[in-house]
Amino acid sequence: MDATSGKAGIIRASDDDGTMTKLSAAVLDDLLYNIISDLVLQTHREEKIAKANTAAIRVEKLASEASESGTDLAPDVRIETDAAIFDDGKVYLKGNPLKTTKEILCPKCHLPRLFHPTDGKGARKPDPTILYCKKHPYIDKPNCDIYGQMWQGPGPGRGKKKKDMEKKEESAADRPANVLSFPSATCSKCKRCILVTRLNNHMGSCIGNSGRNASRAAAQKMGNGNSGEPTPPSSQKVTPAPGSRATSPRKRDVSEEGEDESESSHKKKKHKSSSVTSNPNPKKVILKTKNSFKKESNGSTLPKSSSNLSQEQKAEYDIPDLGSVEVPPKKSTNKASSPAKKLKAVKAAQLPATLKNGRDADGESESSGGTLSSPPQ
Amino acid sequence: MAARPATPASPKNVKVKEPAPGSPLFGCEHVQRLFNQGQEIMNHSIGHYKMILRGIFDSTPVVPQTFTNSQGQPTTCLTSTNLCLQCPTNLTDEERLKHGNKTSHRFYIDSRSGSLYCQVCDDIVWDPTLEELRVRKIGTGSFSGRKRKHDELFPDAMKEDPRYIATNTTLASCRANGLRGIYNAGATCYQNVVLQSFLHNPLLRNFYLSDGHQSSECGVSYCLSCAIDDMFQDFYALENTNGYTAANILSGFWISENKAFENLVTTREQDAHEFFQFLAEELHERNGDGKKPESGSEHTCNCVMHQTFYGKMQTDTTCQNCSGTTHAVQSFLDLSLGLESLVQKRKKAVKEKGGNAPPLTLIDCLDEEYIKSDKCDYRCHKCDSIQQARRLTSIKRLPNVLSIQFKRFEYKQGRHDRAASKIDDPVSFPLQLNMLPYTHRVRAKEGREGRELERSCTYDLLSVVVHVGEIETGHYVSYCRVGDQWFRFNDHNVRLATVSEVLGAKAYLLFYIIRSLA
Ligand SMILES: [Zn+2]
Ligand SMILES: [Zn+2]
Ligand SMILES: [Zn+2]
Ligand SMILES: [Zn+2]
Ligand SMILES: [Zn+2]
Ligand SMILES: [Zn+2]
Ligand SMILES: [Zn+2]
Repeated sequence: MDATSGKAGIIRASDDDGTMTKLSAAVLDDLLYNIISDLVLQTHREEKIAKANTAAIRVEKLASEASESGTDLAPDVRIETDAAIFDDGKVYLKGNPLKTTKEILCPKCHLPRLFHPTDGKGARKPDPTILYCKKHPYIDKPNCDIYGQMWQGPGPGRGKKKKDMEKKEESAADRPANVLSFPSATCSKCKRCILVTRLNNHMGSCIGNSGRNASRAAAQKMGNGNSGEPTPPSSQKVTPAPGSRATSPRKRDVSEEGEDESESSHKKKKHKSSSVTSNPNPKKVILKTKNSFKKESNGSTLPKSSSNLSQEQKAEYDIPDLGSVEVPPKKSTNKASSPAKKLKAVKAAQLPATLKNGRDADGESESSGGTLSSPPQ
Repeated sequence: MAARPATPASPKNVKVKEPAPGSPLFGCEHVQRLFNQGQEIMNHSIGHYKMILRGIFDSTPVVPQTFTNSQGQPTTCLTSTNLCLQCPTNLTDEERLKHGNKTSHRFYIDSRSGSLYCQVCDDIVWDPTLEELRVRKIGTGSFSGRKRKHDELFPDAMKEDPRYIATNTTLASCRANGLRGIYNAGATCYQNVVLQSFLHNPLLRNFYLSDGHQSSECGVSYCLSCAIDDMFQDFYALENTNGYTAANILSGFWISENKAFENLVTTREQDAHEFFQFLAEELHERNGDGKKPESGSEHTCNCVMHQTFYGKMQTDTTCQNCSGTTHAVQSFLDLSLGLESLVQKRKKAVKEKGGNAPPLTLIDCLDEEYIKSDKCDYRCHKCDSIQQARRLTSIKRLPNVLSIQFKRFEYKQGRHDRAASKIDDPVSFPLQLNMLPYTHRVRAKEGREGRELERSCTYDLLSVVVHVGEIETGHYVSYCRVGDQWFRFNDHNVRLATVSEVLGAKAYLLFYIIRSLA
């Protein structure tokens, strides 16, 4: 053996090294080559498939435009671009999509994908004239989340509440769009509007008190009211957004909640039972049709036989590939237009069929595994 | 299993993968030309491709890595070689062009990955038909996978026009991807980390997003399964990037009557592991067969929790006197691994021998629990007396999602109080976990069978729950994987995470998902 290195040529022994040294250098270098080529292959796959699909999406779009504008001789349409041919309803590639296709179109919305994040590490200004797919590269920027958002402190403490409130209103008006404030939520029991960071304490007194276990809640309250504050929402210590540290609502007495509720400027119509009320995103659409139904069922104490329920669930769940779940006609009609379900159905279809009832460790069926303990015939 | 003719032997004509809108029919013009030469050539090419994939993924890598060099000697190398798609030849990169020019064979398969190289394109080509075979082979070990079984069960479902689905999905924004934080409602980060790991668990996600539990048809008030269903809707259907307020889950939690978790329901920070157990029991109760979730060896509940998390373990107890053995089988939700004795042992070893002990690994912990046997006292029926016995616990059935808890919190009953302490030592864990050694019957099987067995026991890391800081004042964060990208969830804040950051974390809970699903 006289080679001093492997395929990558990065880890190298010198000519006068011993055979063992040369061999280990060569092995190590080959392994390095494999690691690099695996990484490259993975990226290549993603990129090339995305671009091949982009070429297909484009030519299909042209074809459907052509068949719409002309007579409806759709099957006969033949369209050719630099990257693909549309013929008889099928798409054929022309050349290497990595060379012929520059951008990547989203397979779902057919809009171009943004290649670079808009902020933080590796950011570039997107072309303002182009409407991009809403799936953006995630932002990697200190103190921001993946969408470039930051959070304003979760609100005033107790003493100087009035003053702080005014200040907050003011700053809310002129704070940048990517700085969010903590929302309020509706307590599902008393329907009052509570700042999210106080929700747990509120429910402790609201539900814990009136509910099954008044004594425990009372004990809790005592513990909480102590000057030693043994139960700070300690986790918040690590979480707050920059600048919020000073106003971090670390101690909240359970009894204090009543005050907040009346002043709630966040109060909005609570038609949605999932209760995110002060959402600053005006685009939010409630897609679910079932909310209205939910509300009814929430209030009612209609008992439902549990055996009945489990039967139903079982039947649904036995369908292993979730791509199919839309089809069975047993669906109630009110669910038909939930886009999330449909969205999922597609995604799920890409997964291999999934659910098997666990798997036996020895690769055999449960029953054959069990024969071990029963006497052989 | 019923004997069914294996696919390759059947004379059936192979077909190109059904054209889907938005994707081309072939990987390149040259593959198209090859497949269009006639059914026989296509049958041969695809049949040979399958055979090569079997050679790569079912047997030892030595075979596909060995080629005959120019002097006619068999040579094995570590880097990829090129297996000709059209004849049984294995070539180096240099020989490939010569072979191509001589024979007009233009397609070669990478001996390590099984991917297809087209010599005319001079590039790797991702042909939809061949790539589907490769992905299935890697994923499930067979070309048909379970999909075939599924086809037979639900023929209508598969014939559904993909165009129909595609046009109806555009309603949900491309931004709705399930990546959102969850607001801390006051010491609820222990809940948030568990909820995030549920949200990014493909099995739970698929169950809820396919109407597994419909709140419109559920009459249970403050049902936690309905609340979880709502949460999945909001995460995967709305364009919202703001944090999520888990108000309904919180109220379901407060209203829950589950006696076993009474101590959990407080306004204080609690144990994320206990919350996981609580949710598993609650969701089993809402979706399952009404029995206790961990009851009996014969218990096979079909609910989403059982299908996802529950496995079975077997304890064999062997009497030291008469060598009689008894078996006990029990369901488990997670594997709880002790750290204290291992940490102590290590410290002792370092003290005695000096130097540095390598960090504790997950494998060490699993070995301790499921490979080593321990001694116990045991009432033997045969001997009709109390005897010393050897006890060995191993896993009888692996779950689809394996959850592991490191016992980092030790509660010691002191004279005055229950003192809690935290073991903060790092425990390293792998991205890929082979559970075969811990299973009930470990027979070192050789060749294809052994490989398949190992594949069926291979897991990929899915999410990691970390407790940082002291036991009373600490905080929970979690890491979840979406595709190949890791994210760090700290209540409402979500950010990108690197693999090394994830693997460097001092994990408290680990969730692994079975390979053939991921
Ligand atoms: Zn899009
Ligand atoms: Zn309330
Ligand atoms: Zn050849
Ligand atoms: Zn080609
Ligand atoms: Zn329900
Ligand atoms: Zn169950
Ligand atoms: Zn005995």
